[in-house]
Order: sequence, then structure tokens, then C-alpha cells
Amino acid sequence: MWDQVQQALNQSMVRLLSQVASLLPGIVALIVAFVLSVVVAGLLSVILRRFLVSIRFDERLVHWGMSSVAERSPKNSPTRLVTRIVAGSIIVVGLLIGLAAFDATLISELVVRLFAYLPRILTAVVVLLLGSIIARFLARSVLIGGVNMNLQYARLLSVGVKWLVIVLSVAMALDHLEIGTGIVNLAFGILFGGIVLALALAVGLGSKELVSRSLEREVNKTPAPMEEEPFRHL
Amino acid sequence: MELDSIPQSVRERLDQIGTADLVVGLLSNGTGPGGESVHEIHQALKAGFGKLRAVIIQDGESALEPVEESESQIVLSWNLIGPERATSPAPSISDAFQLMFTASQKLEARACCVVASDLQNVTSGWISGLTQPVLEMDYGLVTPRYTNQRFEGLLNTGIVYPITRALYGKRIYNPMGPDLGISGPLVQQMLAADPKAKATGNRIHPVASLAPTAICGGMTVGQAYLGARVYPPVDWTNASSLLAQVLGSVFLDMERYAVHWQKTRGSVSVPDFGEPNTVTEETGAVDVKRLVDSFQLGARDLQEIWSLVLPPTTLMEVRRLSRQAPDQFRMPDELWVRIVYDFALGHRLRTISRDHLLRAMTPLYLGWVASFALELETAGPGVVERRRERLCEAYESQKPYLVSRWRWPDRFNP
Repeated sequence: MWDQVQQALNQSMVRLLSQVASLLPGIVALIVAFVLSVVVAGLLSVILRRFLVSIRFDERLVHWGMSSVAERSPKNSPTRLVTRIVAGSIIVVGLLIGLAAFDATLISELVVRLFAYLPRILTAVVVLLLGSIIARFLARSVLIGGVNMNLQYARLLSVGVKWLVIVLSVAMALDHLEIGTGIVNLAFGILFGGIVLALALAVGLGSKELVSRSLEREVNKTPAPMEEEPFRHL
Repeated sequence: MELDSIPQSVRERLDQIGTADLVVGLLSNGTGPGGESVHEIHQALKAGFGKLRAVIIQDGESALEPVEESESQIVLSWNLIGPERATSPAPSISDAFQLMFTASQKLEARACCVVASDLQNVTSGWISGLTQPVLEMDYGLVTPRYTNQRFEGLLNTGIVYPITRALYGKRIYNPMGPDLGISGPLVQQMLAADPKAKATGNRIHPVASLAPTAICGGMTVGQAYLGARVYPPVDWTNASSLLAQVLGSVFLDMERYAVHWQKTRGSVSVPDFGEPNTVTEETGAVDVKRLVDSFQLGARDLQEIWSLVLPPTTLMEVRRLSRQAPDQFRMPDELWVRIVYDFALGHRLRTISRDHLLRAMTPLYLGWVASFALELETAGPGVVERRRERLCEAYESQKPYLVSRWRWPDRFNP
């Protein structure tokens, strides 16, 4: 009886050890791949950083009108951003190679799914990036235009426009990623509908007289005689 | 601009004419009693330039009364300025200038005179004043010298004249005309420069570029006393567009001729032609509340944008200025000049969209106008002239600041 138990334990230990032994090359391969990818990423990022600094990449980017990229980069340096993206990508690829050493079929399936989803991720990122750029541009346009028209609420308008565009682009990106599609659409519809309804109620009920007075003023406004204005610009 | 941009019928007429000594363009905007002036100009050309073959090109196919032609005096009418002039004056005038240059080159004219001011005040003396130095003394460019009231031509007084003087070293009072006498070689240079500029995405605005091109091309520049000019009324809703168009052209020329102006020191007068007219004294208080309000609103809301262009010290001074009471409001010349230079640098570096940058300058400009107006509330013409001169000197004395920031925008940031 005891012999049989001992034999069973021995067999299970042998099986475990043989399984560990069979995993060991994979673990070593993962560590080696990770270390190598970190080294390669480090080397490449140093080379890339030197190259980008030598061609004055940061200044060129600003010169091409892409200053918003600089503002969003770590320490306001697009060079740093590019080198980090490249280094990160190399490390991720190294990890995938290392994981493939364990189970090639599992990883290949993972990679296939990842690559199938990648275009959606990229498109969503592009939508977010464009949304952010457009939001900033429109916000600035509205702010400058509003100030030049002497509107006291120019900043409020500008912030409103900015968030409207950002919310729209986030909703579009989430919709594209198929994350909570129904909820996003519903929430977005409620949000916009709510804003429009709130404005309509505010104008229709709260500020009815104010609006009518303002419209009356606009209609009855007589232009100031030119002689009163002493300034001539050009 | 290509010959194709000229209507077929006009092109055929130009072919028939062949060559001319002088091309006169009248870009009347139709608000004045133009016909009389065209007749006067016609008579003056006959009397003054009897032997010369002149072609008068007037804007509008039927806006002006028909003029009797002769062998040496030919009158052409075509729509030089598009209907969009009402909303946006500068580009259409630029296009009209380019059309005039194209016609002038086609006719191989020795001189081209463009009168863009309202014809109400234009006399025959304007044409002869602007063209005689070109035709008889080989001048490259003759600019006008108007008899201005204290608050007329403020954009020219506050930025265009002093910056042109400080950069290129010539005291040209109205470098952007808009009434100008231009030599044939300068016309050719302007036409040659246009495609090059288009290729780099920077369109040349001939009205702004004429003076820098003439100076940097080594041509002689003079100015003619023309008397009073009728200025278009101020459109406050369009002030930022005007500022953006004018300063955009000036700043583009700064980039184009950076090598030249960085070597220039001080300034010299250019020869004047004709007799200066006396300025009728105009005094009295002006209401600058709207201007100060605009400045203060800008200082409150545009700090974020200004901080991308202006160094911290300048920004601090602007903030301090915005807290001053309207009647105490004074913008020091040095501060104003540094602001203009910093915006020129921001334009060059494209710190933000160029259109945003130039429009964001509007409250600062209105602040300067308010300060200038308050200082000269009770001033006579002599005082106004001295005040303008002091501002020009500030532009010249601050030029090393511009040169340093232009050369080392990152390292030199006070």
C-alpha cells in the first residue's frame, strides 16, 4: 500500500518536474527575449533621439504648425514621445516573441485577434487626435473672434465649443471600438438633446423678454454717424 | 499673375495697343464722383506728358463716364476689383495690383501708376507727382506722402511705417501706398517674385511688398506730397481681418528679406517731391472707452494665447497695463514695439496658427490706439509729428532685441 502511494507521488513529482523542465526553455526564452528587446529598444531610442535632435525635430514640428503635439508630449518634447513609442513597441514585440516560445498556437491566435482589432484602435486614436486638434483650433477661433467682437462671455463660448467637439470625438472613438455602443449612443443623444432642450427652455421661458428686447434693439439699431468716429486705420 | 486672368476682350485691346510709356490704374471704389477726376487726369496727362503714350485703366466697366481717347491717350475699363471688396478689401486690391502689373508688363511700360484711394480727393497732380520721378529720374518706386489728421492712418503710424523704417533703413511714410508710382523693372521683379512665393505657399501681397522689394533690390525710392486722402470709414467688426491681412504681409516680407534687414542699422530720409500741405489743426477729446474695454477683455481672456508669443516680462507689463484706469491708460513705446516684434517672431516660428496669432493681436493694437489717442487729445500737428518720430525711434532702438530673438529664439527669451 505504502509502496503504491510512494510510487504515485514519485510519478506525479516526475510529471511535474518534467512539465517544469519542458516550460523552463520557454521561461528562459521569454526572459532572454524580454532582456534583448529592452536592450535593443534602449539602443534604438538613443540612436533615434540623437538623430531627431540633430535634425531639430521638435522645432521643425512646431514650424509645420503641429505645436499641439509638443504640448501633449512628455516634457513638451515630441522627440521624447517618438523615442518612447518606438521603444515601447519593440518591448511589446519582444514580449510576444517570448510568449510564443510557450505556446505558438495560443500566441498566434492572440496576435491574429490583436491585428484584426488593431485597425479599429488606430482609427479610434486618429479620431481622438483629430478631435483634440479640431477642438483646440475651434476653441481658439471662437475665443479670439469673441474677444474681438467684445463678447464678455467669449471664454465660456470657447470652452463650450471645445468640450462639445471632444465629447463628440470620444463618442465616435468608443463607437468605433464597439465599446458600449448602445450606451454611448444613448448617452450622447441624451446629452445633446438635453443641452438643446435646456437652451430652448432658457430662451423660451427664462429670457423671453431679454431676447425680445435684444432683437428689438438689433432691428431698430441706427448706425452711428461716421463723423463721430475719429479713427482711421489704413 | 498670368495673362489669362485678364479678360479676352481686354487682352485683345492690349495686343492692339502694343506698347506704352505709362500705365495708369484707377481703382476707384465707386464712392466718389470719379468721372470728373478721370477727365482731369486725362487732361493732365495730355499737358504734362504730351509725347508719352499713356494707357489709363479704370476699374468698373461702366462705373465711370466715358473719356475721349487720342493717339497717345488710351482708356480701358474692366472690373479690376471683384465684388468681394465690400467684405475683404486687401486681397481684391492685391489682385487688382497684380492685374495692373501684368498689363503694364504686357505693354512694356516704363512706369505704372496705381491710384487706389477714393477718387474724391484725387487730382491730376497725384499722377504726375507719382510718375515724374520714375519717368524722368529713374526712380524705382514713388510712394505717397499724405497730409494726415492726427488719427488717420493709425495702422500705418503704429506699425507699418515705423517697422519698415527700422527694418530697411528708409523713412518711407506710406510704404503701403496705396497710391504708388512704380518703375518697369520693379513691376518685373514683383511679377517674377509671385510664382516663387506661391511655390513656397506664401502669396505675395504687392501693396505691402513693393517698398521692401524696391529697397532690397537696390532701387531708388522717393515720396511725393499728395495732400489729404479720403480714408475708408472704420469697420470695427472687421478690424481683426484688416490687421491680419496687413501684418501678415509685413511679417512675410520680414522673413523674405531677413538677411537684408539684419544688416541694416539706423535710417535715412528719402527724397520728397512736391510741396508739403499744411495740416489743419484738429483738437478735442476722443472717446477711447471702447478701445480700452477691448484691450482689457483681451488681457483677461487671451492671456493663454499671448503667453505663447510674448515673453513673461512683456506679459506681466501687459497685465499691469490692463489694470490702469481708462483716463490713465498709457502704453509705453518700448512695450508696444516689443509686442510687435514678438508677434513677428511668433509669425515666423508658427507658434500657433498664423491667422489666430495675427487676430489675437487686435486687442493689443486697440490698446495702443487708445494710449496714442489719449496722449494726443490736445496736441497740434507739430506735437503729433514729434510723437510719431519718438515711436519710430523706439522701433529703431529696440531692433537689436528683434535681431537677437530672430537669430536665437530659444536662447534669447527675456
